[in-house]
Amino acid sequence: MKTVIQIAVALAAALLGAWLLPRYLELFTLINATVFVSMGLLALSLGLIWGFGGILCFGQTAFFGIGGYTYAVAAINFGDTTLAVPLALLLSTAVAAALGYLMFFGRISDVYMGVITLTTTLILFKFANSTAGDEWNIGSAPLGGFNGIPGTPPLNFPFDPADQLAPDQVFVVAVICLGVCYALAKLILRTRFGRVAVAIKENELRAELLGYDVRLHKLGLFAFGGFLAGLAGVLFANCVFVSPTMFSLSYAGQVIIWVLVGGIGTLVGPVIGCMLIQALTTYAGTLSSIDPNLLLGVLFMLSVVAVPKGLLPTASNLLARLRGRGDA
Amino acid sequence: MSVLLATEGLQMRFGGVVAVDGVSLAINEGELRCLIGPNGAGKSTFFKCLTGQYKPTAGRIFWRGRDITSLDPFAIARLGVGIKTQVPSLFDGLTALEGICLCRHSSEAEARRRAMRALERLGIAALANRRVGLLAHGQRQLVELAMVVAPEPDLIILDEPTAGMSAEETSRAADLIRELNQQHAIVVVEHDMQFIRAIARTVTVFHQGRVLMEDSAATVFADPRVRDVYLGKAVA
Repeated sequence: MKTVIQIAVALAAALLGAWLLPRYLELFTLINATVFVSMGLLALSLGLIWGFGGILCFGQTAFFGIGGYTYAVAAINFGDTTLAVPLALLLSTAVAAALGYLMFFGRISDVYMGVITLTTTLILFKFANSTAGDEWNIGSAPLGGFNGIPGTPPLNFPFDPADQLAPDQVFVVAVICLGVCYALAKLILRTRFGRVAVAIKENELRAELLGYDVRLHKLGLFAFGGFLAGLAGVLFANCVFVSPTMFSLSYAGQVIIWVLVGGIGTLVGPVIGCMLIQALTTYAGTLSSIDPNLLLGVLFMLSVVAVPKGLLPTASNLLARLRGRGDA
Repeated sequence: MSVLLATEGLQMRFGGVVAVDGVSLAINEGELRCLIGPNGAGKSTFFKCLTGQYKPTAGRIFWRGRDITSLDPFAIARLGVGIKTQVPSLFDGLTALEGICLCRHSSEAEARRRAMRALERLGIAALANRRVGLLAHGQRQLVELAMVVAPEPDLIILDEPTAGMSAEETSRAADLIRELNQQHAIVVVEHDMQFIRAIARTVTVFHQGRVLMEDSAATVFADPRVRDVYLGKAVA
């Protein structure tokens, strides 16, 4: 019942945001908001696999970038984005599944998993940066090296390439995607598969001794995380454009911070953490009196000290305590 | 009576150390078998080989005649083997009932029914909705046992089930294991002699990775070699 209410609230919030914000925000702010939403989805993907599956993926951006690049290359070649989206999702999920297979079935320990996933995204970063020449054209799409693919086409209505979505429509699509993905993640955690995945995080040996194939469950969750990150990449490509930055260390590191600040072990927390930090970063960039990185650094340190469990768990604990006092 | 679980020349080597050295034994359907021996005799290593946590360096393990030596722990558990580890291995964040409901089963209702029955069988139905992480050690041991019993396995393997229990809890656990044995074959790895005395039928004594002797409890405890092993004298 609780899950149904949470999903209903999230979907209602998404619909309300999708309906309300395009009416009041300026175009530039709206495009920025779309970036925030796509990043929020990326944070959700890591929040799910790390917070509930115990898989610390340091390179969630690998699937984010693959989703974005595949979308851009396919959309340019097809001249239509209808099939580019499923192709991007398929490829990001498949790469996550392949990497997950090697890690989980190879019984790699958690520390090495962090190293391997980080290395994967950095290799892709390096590779994407070195694709500047004409020899790196895929069909009619140049990968563009450091510059990426500035001509990434925006989404069009299905099978109607002439009818492209305006930025406010892309925003609506992004917000609805985020709401639906949240609902999907929530529902997956409610299924038997999801509950076993959480049990594995609690105690891997016990789950295995109860007869569950730990590797398969981790793989399933990791691949779904890759799917979500891939979708985030597609949305990001729609409001900015794809470039090697999508794979970069700064992005990979930021996702971890979003999840930590928002609250690990929750799904909404990482999204909130992402939005807040993004907004703060944007605001700090406009300040001339103080270095924005310095300001953010200090705030992160303060958040680790003041809200070590993250914003959402701290807030809900506080609320529960206040309610308890009210009852007494 | 047919053989349920058997090992043939089982060996486990860690570099130059041979922890289990050519152990062959057979557990029958419905049997209650105790594996005893002093610390370092190879009991726990043997246990981990049986449960698939270690892959033996030589020898084979059979389940009802089928070679299961290379199976992973989850596959061994699926055969109908319930495994209880030495340190209670539980889902601390869940309640006892939630944790036991995670056992493999056909439907949610069936899982709940089995979980409640297991809790009742072990006399801890009152703990059903308590968070496992907050329970006392002895209670945790019982919750883990309930988790092992709930899927109604054919064989239950217990690694030092009384570790950390009080004398009273140990005596209750002995009663419990005898009772569980009416429905399940049980292998108990233990070094608490009082406990073994209370439950034992057939006892296998481990010493330096090998089977020193295997006989009825009375014979084993009367044997001077067993006393020597426990008291640290050299074995002739």
